[in-house]
Amino acid sequence: MDPDFRGDIDHHDGTSDATPGGYVEKRRPGELAFALFLTAASLFLLYSAYGISGFEALSAPGAIPMATTLVMAISAFIVVLRTAGLPKVTTETLAKDILPGTVIVFIGFLILFGLLLQPLGFVLTAGLFLIVAIKVLAKRGWGYTLAVALGSLVLIWIVFRVVFTVLLPSGVLPEAEFIQFFRNLIAAGAS
Amino acid sequence: METFLAILTVFTQPELLLLVGVGTFAGIYIGAIPGLSVTMAVSILISFTFSWDVYPAISLMVGIYMGGVYGGSRTAILLNIPGAPSAIATAMDGYPMAQRGEAGQAIGVTTVMSFFGGLIGILVLALAAPFVSEFALSFQPRDYMLLAVLGILLVGSLSSGSMIKGIFAGSLGIAIGAVGRDPLTFTERFTFDFQIMEGGISFIAVMIGMFGVSEALMQLQNVNMKAVRQKIDKIVPSFGTVKKFLPLSLQTSTIGVVIGALPGTGGDIAALMAYDHAKRVTKNPKTPFGEGAMEGLVAPETANNAAVGGAFIPMMTLGIPGDAVTAIMIGALFIHGLNPGPMLMIDQPNMFWFIVGALFTANIFMLIFGLTGIKIFTKIVEMPRAIIIPLILLLSIVGAYAVNNSITDVYWMLGFGVFGYFMRHYGYPLGPVILGVILSRLLDDNWRRAIISEREDLGRFFEGVFTSPLSLVLFVAVILIFVSQTPLWTAMKKRLFRKTPS
Amino acid sequence: MSRKLIGALVAFGLSTSVAMAQEYPTKEIQGIIQWGAGGSTDTVMRSVTPHAEAALGGTVVMQNMTGAVGAIALNHVAGAKADGYTLLMGAENPLLYKVMGLGDKDYSEFTPINILARGTPILVANNDAPFDDYAGMMDYIAKNPGELRIGSTGPGGVPSVVTAMMNTVEGNLDVIAVPYDGDGPALTALQGGAIDVMPAVLGAAIESIRAGAMKPIAIFDVEQNPKLPEVPAVTSFNDGYSKYLPWGPFFGVFVPKGTADDVVAKLSAAYSEGAAHPDFVKLMDDRGFTMMGISGDDATAFLSKWQQGTAWLLQDAGLAKTSPEEFGIARP
Repeated sequence: MDPDFRGDIDHHDGTSDATPGGYVEKRRPGELAFALFLTAASLFLLYSAYGISGFEALSAPGAIPMATTLVMAISAFIVVLRTAGLPKVTTETLAKDILPGTVIVFIGFLILFGLLLQPLGFVLTAGLFLIVAIKVLAKRGWGYTLAVALGSLVLIWIVFRVVFTVLLPSGVLPEAEFIQFFRNLIAAGAS
Repeated sequence: METFLAILTVFTQPELLLLVGVGTFAGIYIGAIPGLSVTMAVSILISFTFSWDVYPAISLMVGIYMGGVYGGSRTAILLNIPGAPSAIATAMDGYPMAQRGEAGQAIGVTTVMSFFGGLIGILVLALAAPFVSEFALSFQPRDYMLLAVLGILLVGSLSSGSMIKGIFAGSLGIAIGAVGRDPLTFTERFTFDFQIMEGGISFIAVMIGMFGVSEALMQLQNVNMKAVRQKIDKIVPSFGTVKKFLPLSLQTSTIGVVIGALPGTGGDIAALMAYDHAKRVTKNPKTPFGEGAMEGLVAPETANNAAVGGAFIPMMTLGIPGDAVTAIMIGALFIHGLNPGPMLMIDQPNMFWFIVGALFTANIFMLIFGLTGIKIFTKIVEMPRAIIIPLILLLSIVGAYAVNNSITDVYWMLGFGVFGYFMRHYGYPLGPVILGVILSRLLDDNWRRAIISEREDLGRFFEGVFTSPLSLVLFVAVILIFVSQTPLWTAMKKRLFRKTPS
Repeated sequence: MSRKLIGALVAFGLSTSVAMAQEYPTKEIQGIIQWGAGGSTDTVMRSVTPHAEAALGGTVVMQNMTGAVGAIALNHVAGAKADGYTLLMGAENPLLYKVMGLGDKDYSEFTPINILARGTPILVANNDAPFDDYAGMMDYIAKNPGELRIGSTGPGGVPSVVTAMMNTVEGNLDVIAVPYDGDGPALTALQGGAIDVMPAVLGAAIESIRAGAMKPIAIFDVEQNPKLPEVPAVTSFNDGYSKYLPWGPFFGVFVPKGTADDVVAKLSAAYSEGAAHPDFVKLMDDRGFTMMGISGDDATAFLSKWQQGTAWLLQDAGLAKTSPEEFGIARP
């Protein structure tokens, strides 16, 4: 394959947000299903918005939500009608162009990350994620993978946890004690 | 005269000069990293500078604010991931430039124009603060509501491609903004009786997910591709280029100052409105909008930096914050024993001139650091994707968590990331979603306030709109923009233009 | 890299053994602020905590956790370990969560460390309002029913309680309540003329009153406030208010119930010392807050008295979602 080939342009995936992906005159694999899903979700939200306060008053908390979900439902339905009328893109398949293996694997990684973050703690989860992700993508030796992953993890941890004191979930590691240990060291050194 | 000399305080004390410099430098990086925000940095500085004098503390904060607003554009241009909400519009034309290897040029123009916008903001703050703040105070709930409607009509110019998909995305954004307990009556909206939904969905989490995670997932398909080599020899734009954009940047800076000075609206809305304005007034851009038009960089970047000076206007003259950052700075002044309020200008005019001076210095530092550190930044895009992608994903997670120390926000961020990935594939624009979330509260709260104030009477509401000059101007603008975007107008224009030549 | 790891592991081992030997606090303490950065709770907590840290000899890392009128932060701290390493820095409104249907937890799940200070409500009006004092305002309402726009900040907020008091004492007033999401935005709207009258905390309005940007109508207290001696107390117009006053919002630091007594004692002592620091006292005084600095049984008694009075006031005004009786809150 040509190393300079840029899939973005050929795949109609959108180069920036101002030029969104998709084909104008054709329908990509899964596009109709996505539009149908959006319509169903909008109708459900419209029903939920009606439940907030019904047609109680113009100033009711449900007034704007109802108006906006109605617009969502109508526009999603128009999109369904238009998409259904378009011919399919024959050269693309769902598995190859929309949801290739790596993307599914990474979505899986992210879900696992979310599930493990609280019980295991940020440092361990993020360390595991970086090691596995870089190993899978870079296909380089373990030395390289570990060095890059742990190096950047330490940097991120110092910036967020120490400098910006973001209280990331500590999980099983005694993180606060660890920081206090260094704080004591610095305090002892200073005095 | 003596008080006016306070403007020079920064320059006479090397320590203050250094702090402004350090702050601006740090601010650029804080702004550039999607997970770190200026609001976060400034609120941490409150504790950090607790025992300092007030001038050094404010110097550091002003630097971070100025640098941070500018820094957001860096990652927007280089990675298509806006580092801060006010840089969303910058990505639209900045990233296509980076894809052509013109990142250096894009950053150069952005830097000089941010400097220019910042300067206009500071000048207005210094010369016309009382006047602008009086104008900002005169905005009634119905005016804010009309302003929000005006903002929502930007969907039209933000969604090239399919307009109907843009409308869907925009209304989805408004709905996302309504999730959680309604701030006015505490009624639960779209919470489905889950306690974790009560706090609503953080708009930063939506932004990081939609732009950061979905972009990273998108890039997974190009993981083995060679990165574009960036030309970084022509960074400083020529005088001719700057001169060419001068009229546009004056207009967009004005938008920035006014939107920034309004309590409740900030640089993010200002930048989007400025982008829209540029698209309207630029008849023949050299490169079309969305494919790397310089005008698309100039407009949002002048506006968001001009909004910094704007946000200080109500803060200094009335003690009313112009945005989230100035809200924290008011707290800082208070902690340092000053009484921010309308009396501050009268009791402590030195403070006002000092801040003007500090902002001015920060603006100069921004220009210097902005034009010198480009090489390191462009190296980021040239790093192997196998490393960048996992790092972007990790930073997105940390960033979403850091906004409100909430793991729920991480889940939302991931969910919207995957959703945004599909939206990109199927041609739904993401910008309108963010626009909707930003404007949701402005529209909803003020519509309800306006109609409650008129006892639920639409007749009285419109009477109010037509009797107030400000409301009337906004209302006419809404109607004009709305009409100009519907097919009816295009048909009319065709007929009109056909007639005129003959 | 591996050497670094070993170093880290050694450090972990050391720190845990040190932790056993040392007394509380052996690690940094998390302070969860119930409201957003820049708000009055945030400012008060960020200005008292450094003094308390000095007295405690430890570090308190403060984080803002907003959402659902503070209920998110309250639930977070209530669910944390009762070891004194997670503090809740909050205001008065959790005491009304139950009756307002906003949550099923309140400060009864917590041990108060220190109730720092309380604010005094004041009624302010737009400069163009066609009245200058409380009596004039009542007169105006009676003559122009449904015309006066009064700012509010949602159910259970200070303005809603003050309005409930006015309705109880003066009989139901025919006014329009325009909701805002905080007294800052509401006072801004007042100056712009979007609302006519606003019951606010003295501290939030004092600078604007001094500058003449809005006019004071009455202090909601039994006596005049030394900060604004020329403003009459509302009881001088109608003595009916003395049944409910003095009343006001407050700021406090809390730990989950079940925290060891010596830890509570140590924290209480630290915050008492911090609250007594002259810098903090001056800061609070400038903003018109009344220093309290109470802890232990005094604080518990204060909380339950406050809750009884306010919850029943809201119930009698027909604003409560659920009767205080359901939660065992006795009528005062």
